[in-house]
Amino acid sequence: MTEIKLVLKKEPEFPLEADVISPDQFTGKTLADIKKLIVYYGNEEKTLGEFFDISGKSGELTDLKIIIEGNLSNVKRIGEKMSAGEIEINGNVGMHVGNRMTGGKMLVNGNADDWAGAMLNGGELEITGDAGHYVGAAYRGFWKGMQNGIIKVHGKVGDEALTWVNGSKPANRFPTLICGSAGSFLGIHGHGGTIIVEGNCNRCVGADQVRGTIVVKGKVSRILPSYKKLGEVKEIELMNGEKINGKFVEYSGDHSVEKNHSKIDKKTGIISNSSNGRLFIAA
Amino acid sequence: MEVDVDTKENKVVEVRNGCQIGTKKYFASNPSNHRYEKPLIKEKGSFKEVSWDEALDKAADILVKAKRPLLYGFSSTECEAQGKGVELAEVLGAILDNTASVCHGPSLLAIQDVGAPTSTLGEYKNRADLVVFWGCNPVHAHPRHLGRYSEFVRGYFRKDGRNDRYIIVVDPRNTHTAQIADLFIQVNPSEDYELLNAIRAILRGTEVDGKEVSGVPMKNIIELVNKLKTCKFGVIFFGMGLTQSLAHHRNIDAAICLVRELNDYTKFLLTPMRGHYNVAGANQVFAWQTGYSYSIDFSRGYPRYNPGEFSSVDVLIRNEIDASLIVASDPASNFPAAAVKNMFKHPLISIEPHHTPTSVNADVILPPAIAGIECEGTAYRMDSVPLRLRKVKDAPGECLTDNEILERLIEVVKKKKGE
Repeated sequence: MTEIKLVLKKEPEFPLEADVISPDQFTGKTLADIKKLIVYYGNEEKTLGEFFDISGKSGELTDLKIIIEGNLSNVKRIGEKMSAGEIEINGNVGMHVGNRMTGGKMLVNGNADDWAGAMLNGGELEITGDAGHYVGAAYRGFWKGMQNGIIKVHGKVGDEALTWVNGSKPANRFPTLICGSAGSFLGIHGHGGTIIVEGNCNRCVGADQVRGTIVVKGKVSRILPSYKKLGEVKEIELMNGEKINGKFVEYSGDHSVEKNHSKIDKKTGIISNSSNGRLFIAA
Repeated sequence: MEVDVDTKENKVVEVRNGCQIGTKKYFASNPSNHRYEKPLIKEKGSFKEVSWDEALDKAADILVKAKRPLLYGFSSTECEAQGKGVELAEVLGAILDNTASVCHGPSLLAIQDVGAPTSTLGEYKNRADLVVFWGCNPVHAHPRHLGRYSEFVRGYFRKDGRNDRYIIVVDPRNTHTAQIADLFIQVNPSEDYELLNAIRAILRGTEVDGKEVSGVPMKNIIELVNKLKTCKFGVIFFGMGLTQSLAHHRNIDAAICLVRELNDYTKFLLTPMRGHYNVAGANQVFAWQTGYSYSIDFSRGYPRYNPGEFSSVDVLIRNEIDASLIVASDPASNFPAAAVKNMFKHPLISIEPHHTPTSVNADVILPPAIAGIECEGTAYRMDSVPLRLRKVKDAPGECLTDNEILERLIEVVKKKKGE
């Protein structure tokens, strides 16, 4: 595996938009070319070399690893739209890290700001610290958010993670979020996402969820009134066929959404177990 | 019923038919020691009267030097000046924002997510037999709204005025609007989302467990749902109580979904109760010129939109801004203290007719004529109907119109940038 190492020279005073830091941009370029790539600093255009010490050697896209060192909390859009290769970030990172990724692997050894992995469409994003709001969410006005791939956050995620998530069993797309704990409105407007929360969750989990599975291994501060309790289960089957063992209380919902409501038998009032919107909370 | 203004020796002396808020606006335009009449520049802590050329030169200097300038305000001026604001932001590569970002911005986010079934106010006046005020208090905030469009007014199909309408108020407080309502639902603060969610579930025929939701007894919610379902033409007016309580845009999201679902049973619409008289206009002008209605970033030369990233409070709290131009607004008395502190750290230009906490802390003050009183223009009503603003008197001193100030500022900025 060929490696390129970037070390931040000095923490930028204004946000630095470095969407060029991605294996797709670096591949096939010499170090001198990489240093000349354009970044946006305030309303000025600068080059990547002005902000980073760059060393190493570029190579094949799938075989390329970018290692970034320094406090990047004011550096935005690292790994935007990357399709293959690897990025490792040692330090905190700014907004939009790994947004619209379609493949490859990204590891953040630190905290990430808002919109980490927004609208992810493949690949793997791992954050060892906390992540901000809108993890894996749809950008404003989009009706399809994260469509594929996996996001792992060891710490907590902020509010409105995985909004408008859009998975599909027939198309073999299983967008997944695994996180330590979560803020409010987790998975709002979900259409087939898989969310596993190891700890606790704030209010309005799975609001407006049409399809999808949310598993909370801790507590939920308040469950929405439109969720119906179905009973206890000992085993959960996720959308991709994987299983989770443990005692959980199963809820179905969100029943304020038209599509889910059709799963209630009009004559008997019994909720069909095949209802796709499901919420499991540790018993 | 139109507002009638008498002027004498270029002073407003009487206003008839105006509400308290409007009347005050007219009288505040009179020359006083609260009104700026000449451009000012701060030098060594005190203001010095200068010529327009000198003041604009200083302002342009500040803006051209800045790497990340913020242009904020625009909601209390006319649309032509707002258009000039967009042009200036584009020339500077600045962040452009209007007061919607601390007001009805969440409504716009929700509208972008799930659409907006809305109408002009005349429809409500003539047809609505059920009016819901959710998280707003028009008796105090929009004093003429009830009389002209929503409650007491007689309409074509509502000949008996108030008696033909059923008024519902949802609010955590027993407001004066709630006191004249037929049904008052007292919801726990910041728990509106759960209530909207329960209403939607009940509307779909789901039985909701529990005795109450958000502090509202279940039988009241069922009564409310029946009222909503059985009206002929309903409308929800919503205000800051929904947009600026916890859950922000998700409250509106749920309210819009509720209205959408109510249209399976009857005709239902909703309208935000906008604050500043031309904030709707700022959204319209920004949207047709840039594609986005607020929180716009021109730093890469083309407009990008992302509230939370480019909205003024957030950029100020993160201390990303190195100069700001405030037009017809007073963020110093409305923004969080941390944001205001960061704003005052950097050069500040204020286009503002009166002494305000923002203008007295500015480095350059450019005094404008007040749009709609001292100059003509266009403004959009809260239902996005454009109206012509009239001029009733001349501006005092050397005041120029907002439009003219921004036009001249753009010229100087362009010259300094060598364009």
